Amino acid sequence: MGRESILKSIKSNKPELVELPEIDLNLFAEEIDILEAFKSNVKLVGGKLKELGDNEDIDSVIRELYPKAERIVSQLPGSNLRTVLITKETEPHSLEKIDLAIIKGEFGVAENGSVWVSENQFSVRVLPFITNDLVIVLSKKDLCLHMHEAYKKIANRDRNFGLFISGPSKTADIEQCLVIGAQGAMSLTIVLI
Amino acid sequence: MSHSEKAEIFNKNEAKVNWHDKALWFVREKRDTAAHKVKGWEELRNLASGIKANVLSNLDEYLIEFEENAQKNGIKVHWASDAEEHNTIIHKILEDNKVEKVVKSKSMLTEECHLNPFLEDRGIEVIDTDLGERIVQLAKETPSHIVLPAIHKTKEEVDTLFQEHLGTKPSNGNPEYLTNEARKHLRDKFLKADAAITGVNFAIAETGGIVVCTNEGNADMGAHLVKTHIACMGIEKIIPNEEHLGVFLRLLARSATGQPITTYSSHFNKPAEGKEMHIVIVDNGRTEQLSRKEFRSSLHCIRCGACMNTCPIYRRSGGHSYDATIPGPIGSILSPGKDLTKHSSLPFASTLCGSCSNVCPVKINIHEQLYAWRQIVTKEVKQPVVKKTILKITGVALSNRLLFNIAGKSARFMLKYAPRFMVYSKLNVWGKARELPEIKNQNFDDWYKVKRKNNG
Repeated sequence: MGRESILKSIKSNKPELVELPEIDLNLFAEEIDILEAFKSNVKLVGGKLKELGDNEDIDSVIRELYPKAERIVSQLPGSNLRTVLITKETEPHSLEKIDLAIIKGEFGVAENGSVWVSENQFSVRVLPFITNDLVIVLSKKDLCLHMHEAYKKIANRDRNFGLFISGPSKTADIEQCLVIGAQGAMSLTIVLI
Repeated sequence: MSHSEKAEIFNKNEAKVNWHDKALWFVREKRDTAAHKVKGWEELRNLASGIKANVLSNLDEYLIEFEENAQKNGIKVHWASDAEEHNTIIHKILEDNKVEKVVKSKSMLTEECHLNPFLEDRGIEVIDTDLGERIVQLAKETPSHIVLPAIHKTKEEVDTLFQEHLGTKPSNGNPEYLTNEARKHLRDKFLKADAAITGVNFAIAETGGIVVCTNEGNADMGAHLVKTHIACMGIEKIIPNEEHLGVFLRLLARSATGQPITTYSSHFNKPAEGKEMHIVIVDNGRTEQLSRKEFRSSLHCIRCGACMNTCPIYRRSGGHSYDATIPGPIGSILSPGKDLTKHSSLPFASTLCGSCSNVCPVKINIHEQLYAWRQIVTKEVKQPVVKKTILKITGVALSNRLLFNIAGKSARFMLKYAPRFMVYSKLNVWGKARELPEIKNQNFDDWYKVKRKNNG
């Protein structure tokens, strides 16, 4: 039973070695405006998008977007919106009533409107899910075309916990009607700087 | 009960069947739109198929590599030969951690192993947290689709179910209201849970990490709140390197629902400080399927459900008619390998149109495998006398030109002149719920001869 018998059974049942194919990136190369593609895909997946204007500052833009938010966790350095301070030691259940979480995105992926974020950007893993609303601040310079490029970008990361987030939590489990706000964040706004 | 008998029950409600048929076809169309937007889509499918073929040919080595890397990162790895061992291992972990309440995100493997009743019998509360799965759990049913578990339920049925179990107000099946009520109900369960069980979409040999994809965020809500996270995977979930996720994540959601990617694609590599992470690697018949040359590639499956959405039989018979954890075309080539007698009717639940193979992101030749299973089933499982006799007579008629002509002529004669009650009798299944075509005097042969003559 268990490990040895499974491995033995695979050994005797597997076919002759089939070579692992190479991924030829030329097959997927495209000359497109990746910023425009990213923006349109963020909307496609139900996300909101805000481009920071020249004379605007991040705090006031976010405040305008979420005027009612009271319990705010901001993981951006220098943010004045923070009302709840969290650290690595914060008990995840205590984030139950967080209205808004603000985190920095590492980079965005044009083909699907997703943003890679990792534990390096939020002190408690459950934060981007348990918060009622989520804001990801992302630099326009940090965009890539597709997932193949994305995995090159994170190839040398510190592997703890990380994820691609594409839009707010959603479901269509009741008669295929799309409803935004299932078990995770009810809304996602990407603030492009 | 055979597939066709169960399908007949599903077909009693014609309006529901029509809705089911159209809803799934709509998902198929969304898949097409999404796929056509990707440059090199067919090359992606070729790559995915090639990577999976390599995985199966080196599976033992990859599993060992995966285990080693996962352990280095502080993840505990367990191996289970069958469903019972899988359930026992999980129960032991829960017992060791004095767990009373478990939240579970979607995992077809734990369905396959019947984990929920196993744990419930031992006094542990198990809550399915995917909305569709929670609906079928409350209804004491099983998922009828691997991506859309409650696709067989109307919103009014969900409404009644929630009134009964969650104390909601009647809403005429308002999806927004019901989803929001479920959100509140599940939040409470997440906050009170002691352990979380999730599935695994991909396990990476190179890094020892796993990726879990959801739209609702339920896997993460569960896993990050509790002290103990258990992830269950079939041996075939392995991929060699992290860069291969680039291929599979581009294919998975587009094939499943037409989304460019799921909302959350979570990469678990290390347990958080002070927490535990376990991975249970399960065989449960997979190595046996690996030994079957003709059916081996069924293990390429990444559980997107595209073959179900496109299948004309699945759409009109419903997932429960397959009486298996994985329904639809892919289920019909997996299930006979587990229990040939029980699932002997499944390879026949197909028109062999090949649409399933055409949409499969990992290019499994599903319809060819269905055909191959039919050869085995007819040899090894006793067939109904009527079917056997008819096929024997057909065989004789088809191999004899004179008999074939006589048969054709008499069939046309009968269809034209026999009274309705005879043509549309119980013996003629082709006359069930449909009008047979109008009969011309000529058969093709006669028509062709006349045509040739006239054209000189």
